[in-house]
Formats: sequence, structure tokens, C-alpha cells
Amino acid sequence: MRTDYLAKRVAQAALTFFVTVTLTFVLYRMMPGGPTEALRNVILQQQMGTGNTIDPARVERLVAQYTNLQSDAPMYKQYIQYMSSVFLEQDLGESLYEDASVTSLLAERIPWSMLISVYAMVIGYTVSIVLGAVMAFKEKSRFDSISSIVVIGLNSTPYYVAGILLIFFFSIRNEIFPTGGRVGLGVEEGFNILFMQSIAYHAALPVLSMSILGLGTALTMRGNAVRVLGEDYLRVAKLRGLRNSRIATQYVGRNAILPMYTQFMIGIAGVLSSSVIVEQIFSYPGVGLLVYDAIQVRNYPVLMGSLIVFTLVTIVAILIADLTYGFIDPRISSGGTDE
Amino acid sequence: MSNTDTIVEVSNLDVTFQMDRGQSHVVRDVNLDVARNETLGIIGESGSGKSMLASSFLNAVIDPGVSTGKVMYHPEDGAPVSVLELSDSELDRFRWEEVAMVFQGAMSSFNPVTKIRTQFRETLQDHGRDIPAGMDRAHELLESVYLDPDRILDSYAHELSGGMKQRALIALSLLLEPDLLVLDEPTAALDLLMQRSIVTLLDELQTEYDLTLVFITHDLPLLTTLADRIAVMYAFNLTEIGTTDELLYNASHPYTRALLDATPDLNVPVDEMSIIKGSKPDPVDRISGCSYSPRCPIADDRCRSEEPPMMTVRDAHESACFYYDDAPDAVPISAAPDERPSSGRTTATEGRDN
Repeated sequence: MRTDYLAKRVAQAALTFFVTVTLTFVLYRMMPGGPTEALRNVILQQQMGTGNTIDPARVERLVAQYTNLQSDAPMYKQYIQYMSSVFLEQDLGESLYEDASVTSLLAERIPWSMLISVYAMVIGYTVSIVLGAVMAFKEKSRFDSISSIVVIGLNSTPYYVAGILLIFFFSIRNEIFPTGGRVGLGVEEGFNILFMQSIAYHAALPVLSMSILGLGTALTMRGNAVRVLGEDYLRVAKLRGLRNSRIATQYVGRNAILPMYTQFMIGIAGVLSSSVIVEQIFSYPGVGLLVYDAIQVRNYPVLMGSLIVFTLVTIVAILIADLTYGFIDPRISSGGTDE
Repeated sequence: MSNTDTIVEVSNLDVTFQMDRGQSHVVRDVNLDVARNETLGIIGESGSGKSMLASSFLNAVIDPGVSTGKVMYHPEDGAPVSVLELSDSELDRFRWEEVAMVFQGAMSSFNPVTKIRTQFRETLQDHGRDIPAGMDRAHELLESVYLDPDRILDSYAHELSGGMKQRALIALSLLLEPDLLVLDEPTAALDLLMQRSIVTLLDELQTEYDLTLVFITHDLPLLTTLADRIAVMYAFNLTEIGTTDELLYNASHPYTRALLDATPDLNVPVDEMSIIKGSKPDPVDRISGCSYSPRCPIADDRCRSEEPPMMTVRDAHESACFYYDDAPDAVPISAAPDERPSSGRTTATEGRDN
């Protein structure tokens, strides 16, 4: 039963991935201009600038070399070619503007985005859970209503607005934090304290603005905790004279956080894609900024490549959430009856 | 009436809730003694305050309810404990060690995300008990409620049936060897067969573990098979209390008599069944005189202006009615005494709530 379910879920995930990549490919091809068109224009412009004669065959060769596409081949042939190089050779093509493969560009940028996104999520969720729990314990108190208003306010503020305000107050007015970048100039890279400090210093504002985005979870937590506080088993636990710390963690905490697990995993899936705007605001050279710049100059191989990575992360995170939920909540067993 | 045979003495107990539309008085000036090792049944309509009375035995009235008055608990040895004056940490020790409670909605009394074993173990741990010895007792208790200990302990609550959960909860309630077990409608969500078997079980457990039981229900027939004494509650106070036989054969409060008369009988067509006309008072209103007087057929001006105290009808039988002598004639019971409440039937005591 369990292995059946596992195989079924993995197959579903693989199919989703395949369909997404196909759809993206087709959509990009249907966009006016398209990747080959854009590249051909760039090459033609460069050639014209040098005053040399234009050899159309050479242009086509260059285009094919850069994009993994034979630009004059029918669409299905290009599709087969792109897919086979992606899936069989794990080759995402070359960037149109830098002399680097898409894979190496992504590999260089992703850790930085992960850094700020994961910290933002961990901070956002921790604060939300604690705040939500306290709000639930003090339901209907002044603290509860004020916090609710503040959280709803913050949650309704787009994080890029928060980001701009943070830059204004902490970087321009007060110069506490830098306005952009990911490490200070002249800091030696490596495993040393100065380098770490510089990283934390530069990541502070992006992390802060993204954590604010996650604060809405506090309201979910509050709602869950209020519901659990009214459950019969909680009353029995109190009647049994259990320690308050045990009731707070094992009874209220566990039962209230459980429904948020799936949400959390989907949140992980969104960490890379949500970084696009934040990284642009803070000029933080992560994968988000890479995508942003690629859109500006129609760097299609990079766009396609990062989209594939985003899709993969999303699908894997949701797959893990699905497969592990049964371990966390015993009521959701994955069809297996081993007891 | 304080003597060594009394385990709990309730005097002048009030339970109140502050609400927007006024103070809701859900238990009014109740006086009640529970004798050691007896089974006391408390019967009443929904909303008559019986659950609140029961919760007060552990000072566990749900927020924002407040119990005032006096609840004295007499341990087998040692000084009496004034339950309503205990601090939070004293209460944590008192509950489950001296008095345990199995209450309404026991279907969801277990934490759904941990195994039953964990919940037995943490109870022992938080009360500073020896865990191996305690778990041995858990095994013994589960066996005495006819469950397979290892199977139950290794299960999650959702893997058990309603009856199994209820029995597991009863076993859990006896884990720390309490002297008094308060059961608030422990059979409400179970089918008739399971109700029966739980009642039989409680009877056995009482003998085996020297328990005092306080059993709250609105199911009169169920009570008659289990209880030594029955207390009838109407509109937030006790109206009559006596031994089970006294109450069945010599009921002397018009309400008790009407209640007995309303017990459904399979041989009587539905439209001939007796019902108690009118509805019970609102806990926010202050009624003058006897709270049953608006529905009572023999009520007079005295009943409407003066509140009847508990009056002794005879030994071990008290009734809060000025006319306890006249009640048997004024409120006849159609069924013959031996056809009255018997197993497997349910009384129509559910009043119309406001």
C-alpha cells in the first residue's frame, strides 16, 4: 500500500514537472520576439556596429550554439532538442550575454537567495507562532486586539513597500545598514568572522522585509490555537493536573501547528520565486535579481533555466510535505495499515 | 452533618457567569453531602446546572464561571481540604490524585497526536509518580475495563471505537488512585449496549478500587440500576434527594413525580406520553419563591413568594417542597412502581432550552 502510494505521488510530481516545463517552453515561444529572435537581433546589431558583412549562416550557427535551439527548425523539433538537452544532458544552455552556462550562473546565485529566504521564513514563522499562541492565550485582551490590527496591517503591506521604507529609514536616513550588495568591498571570502558579519549585515534588511511578509501566519496560528484551547482533550489535560509547559507544547502547540505544516512547505517552495522583487529593491545579487535582469534583456535561456529550477524546488517541497505529513499527524496515514 | 463517612461536603455552593445581559446564576445555594463509597446519582434536565455542580467538586468550572461557597473534601486520612480555596499548583496535585473526572464528550478526551501510552505516562510523570509501577497499574486498570492493555497503549485515539475510548478514559482516571470519581454523562454518546456495559463496569470498579462515584446524567432508568442515592436537580438547585428506592416509590416533590411519569414506556403510544408542561427558568432571572412553582400543579401563593428549604420527608429522604405530603396524591404517576424506570429506556427530561 505505502510503496504504491509513494510511486503514485512521485509519478504525479514528475508529470507535473514535465508539463510545466513544456508549457513554459511553448509560452516563451509564443511570445512576440521569442528567444531566438532576441538573440538574432543582438548579434545583428553587434555585427552592424563593427561594419562587417553579415553572414546569415554564421548568425544561425551562433544562435543555435547559444540557445540550444535550431532557430529555423519547426517548433516540435526545437522542443525535442531542448528537452533532451535538459533531461538527458542536464544542460540548461548558455547565457546570451555572459560567457557562462546557465547552470553555473544559477549555482552561484541560489545559495545567496536561499540564505535570505530561509532566514526570513524561519524568523517569520517563529515570530508568528509565538505571537499567535500568546494572542490566543490572551484572547479578547487588549494585547490580542492591538496585535491583530498590527499584524493585519503589516500583512496587507506589500513587502516591497516595507523594503523601500526600511531602506529609507535604516540606510539613507540613519546609515545603519547598507542599501545593497551581499558582502562589503574588500572583505576576504572564506570561513572567517568578518566575512560572516558582513553577510549578516547585508542580509538584515532583505530578511526583515520578507519576514514581515510572513507575519500573517500569526493570525492562522491564533485561530488554530483558539480552536485547540476549546477542545475537550485540553480540558481533560488540565483536569489531569499536567504541567503547563507540557500542555502548551504537546497539546496546544502540536495540535495548532500541525495544520500549518503544509502551508510551511509550500512557503519553502515559494522562497526562490518570491525573492525576485526583494532582491531587486535591495540590489542583492541572488537568483531573483538574476531573473529580473534576464527579463530586462530577454535573456531567455537564463529565464527558462531558472524557471525549471523554481518548478523543481516547488514540486519537490510539496512532494516532501505530502509524504511526510503522515509521520507528523498520525491521523493522516498514507493508506497503510501496519498496526 | 460532617462525619467521618462523608467524603465531600458541599455547602452554599453558587456558580455564576458574568454575561453581557447580566449575571447568570447556574448553581444556586446547593448543599449536598457525598458519603464515602456510595454511588450518588445526580439527575436533571439539560441546563439545570448539574455539570457545573459536578465540576465544582474539582473547582474546574470552565472560564469565566466562578464557584463560590464551600466544597470540603475529606481524605481518608489527613486534614480536610477546602477545594475552592486551593492555589493553582495545589489544584494540579489535588485533581486526579484525590478526585478524578470523566466528563461529557469523552470521545475527544485524548490528545489526537500522541499515543495513549504517552498520555498515561505523562500523567504519572507530572504527578511525580514512579513510572514503571504506574504503568503496571495502567495495565491492570485497562484489563479490568476489559481492554487489551498493549494494544490500547500503542494506539492513537482515532484508532479506537467510542466505547473503547470511554473505557480507556475511565482507566486513565483511576491511574493515580483517586478516592472519588465524578462522571458527567459518561455514557451520553454511546449506544444502549455500551451504556449498559459501562454501568456494569463502574459497579465492578467501585468494589474493586474502593471508589466513591458521583454519576451525572439525564437518563433516569440508567441511574436506577447504579445509584445508591439520587439527587434531583431542577433550575440550578436540588429539589429532592433520597435513596434510589425512596425516590422511585415515594417521590415527594411534584417535579420528581412528573419526571417519573414522563419516563417513556414502549407500551404507551407517543401521544399519550406525559410531558412536563412549560419550560424551565432562565439562569439570569431571579425567581421569587420555588423555582418550580410556574409549572407546578399544586403551587399556591406561598410557593410563589417563599423559597422552600430542604425538608426531611423521612430518614435519608429530603424534599424541597412545602407540600411534600400532598405531592403523591396531587401528581399521580400512571405507571405502576415496578414498571417504572427500568433498563434500556430513556426519560424525556430534556427541557426546552431558551
